[in-house]
Amino acid sequence: MTLLASGPLIDWEWIGEHLDVIRAATVEHLQLTAIAVGIGFALSMALALLALQWRWSYPLLAGFCSVLYSIPSLALFGILVPITGLGTVPAVIALVGYTLLILLRNIVAGIEGVPAPVREAADGMGFEHWRRLARVDLPLALPAIIAGLRIATVTTIGLVTITAYVGLGGYGDLIREGLRRQSAPQASTLVILGTGLSVVMAVVFDLLFVGVEHLATPWARRPRLAPIEPMEPVPVAAIPAGGSLSDG
Amino acid sequence: MSDAAPAVADEADASPASGEPAPDVAIRLETLTKRYPGSAVPAVDHLDLTIPRGELVALVGPSGCGKTTTLKMINRLVEPTEGTVWIEGTDARTLPAHQLRRGIGYVIQQAGLFPHRTVADNIATVPKLLGWSRERVHERVDELAELLGLDADLLPRYPAALSGGQQQRVGVARALAADPPVLLMDEPYSAVDPIVRARLQDELVRLQRQVHKTIVLVTHDIDEAIKLADRIAILRAGGHLEQVGPPEELLRAPTSEFVADFLGDDRGIKRLSLITVDDVALREGPVVGMTDSPATARAVMADQGVDWVGVRDGDRLLGWVGAADLDGEPTLATAPRRPFRAVFTPGTTLKAALDGIVTSQTRVAVIEDDQRYLGMLTLDDLAEGVTEGSGEPLEAVGEDAP
Repeated sequence: MTLLASGPLIDWEWIGEHLDVIRAATVEHLQLTAIAVGIGFALSMALALLALQWRWSYPLLAGFCSVLYSIPSLALFGILVPITGLGTVPAVIALVGYTLLILLRNIVAGIEGVPAPVREAADGMGFEHWRRLARVDLPLALPAIIAGLRIATVTTIGLVTITAYVGLGGYGDLIREGLRRQSAPQASTLVILGTGLSVVMAVVFDLLFVGVEHLATPWARRPRLAPIEPMEPVPVAAIPAGGSLSDG
Repeated sequence: MSDAAPAVADEADASPASGEPAPDVAIRLETLTKRYPGSAVPAVDHLDLTIPRGELVALVGPSGCGKTTTLKMINRLVEPTEGTVWIEGTDARTLPAHQLRRGIGYVIQQAGLFPHRTVADNIATVPKLLGWSRERVHERVDELAELLGLDADLLPRYPAALSGGQQQRVGVARALAADPPVLLMDEPYSAVDPIVRARLQDELVRLQRQVHKTIVLVTHDIDEAIKLADRIAILRAGGHLEQVGPPEELLRAPTSEFVADFLGDDRGIKRLSLITVDDVALREGPVVGMTDSPATARAVMADQGVDWVGVRDGDRLLGWVGAADLDGEPTLATAPRRPFRAVFTPGTTLKAALDGIVTSQTRVAVIEDDQRYLGMLTLDDLAEGVTEGSGEPLEAVGEDAP
């Protein structure tokens, strides 16, 4: 590829003059990511609840999501565009499809990971089913759920660049413009800018989720070492004959 | 109090009339049965058990005997296939399960605390479910922390920062939070080390003296049951009730080979820790007065077959004098006296007395109450106490002595 045919690698002047374009692309990229992850999360949550209610359905649901996940994105657009036309609809459908597997798996794993004694205690205390889910299961599944959201969001930010092929904006539009007009002096600037900003956005969100998890799960922070139970003087009679305390 | 529940022949749905509880009965299990689908043998089979109010009843048995299943049928974590659980005269099925459970304390193995809630919030669980006001919940949490000996600075911590023993105490505080009349405990101490376990058991005994709950405790540890329970129900595989009664009675008179085996081949020794000195007849022992002569002392020794004699002054037993030390003394007052090593009060267990006897030179345990000599015990007396049974009132042998 002779992508960098002419002009400077990064044309800072051009960038300075087109901040509005960059801002618009950023907003659009964020919007699309938010919509896709938002819908994906809601859908995954519904599927996870379904899977937890009817255990046999989980392999089916997970299998379906795996298939979706394995379809190459361009091919998926190829399938969708004849049905939905260009625009937001095929883009969102595809992006949501890619979030489902990760989110479903993490939500289910998170809830299943709630320790059995904790669940039993909650039932024994008199939590109703839905209340236990909201107050015990979901909060305890939070680290796994947030981890899923983190991966899904970072993946989606990358994938959104491809939605330029169904006519949407975002950083993908910058990249696509640069690739299409390879002879133009700003071609390399557009490609590098689109790619770079997408990576930066992914990293920012990655860190953001780390922070969110830290704030949302204060109990899961590395606990200080459990204090050693204060020893009470052991009556002599309690020391086994011929033994020492240390082997007791 | 008879252990035998009123016989209920009707195996079908028990009619409400059969559930009329005696006023002192907290829980009654009536032909309680659990069959799991796909299992030929029932987990619990037509179990009848009456649990008196304010007593701690231990369900004990080998694994697979259905003790935990039985416990979980009381708060309906397991639904019975057949039979009825009566709690304070109410059929447990007539309430929604979650409502029933809010009225029953539940303590489980490894405490099962909510890791995402602070200690205070854990304790406050049921009061919050019941919609208590914030102030009332707060007050109750402080009250329970004090009752269970939990430091106030533990309350804002998360359970992960607590030791196993502390977690178990929080578990008990949480179960007691809404002051339920009934407490269910499922192997509560099996996950903590033996030293902490012994301390928690002692605490439960002390706590129970204060709160007087009806407690059903599941354990596989017969010694724990003997230590804690007012009454032990021994179950055999398949959920059959083998025998139920006070620990002392079970140890004294097991009704079957199975129960005897389960109690272990040291039943006699175990009973020693349940019988106290005031349950057995004390003997006056080889004792003479200060002013008695060596000749009198020798006569007493010969009579009792020992080579020492106790010396008393009024109500007090001062010590003992060996046969060899009597020579040339005008009275016992001047003879060189040695103190008794094993001196106990009437509340002492026979086990402690036994320990005293075998480690003392005179082979007796001296029993005193506030320095007043009551009598002494020999190995023979202990054996008598264990084989004869209990209930003998303390004979005040000291009263008519010179």
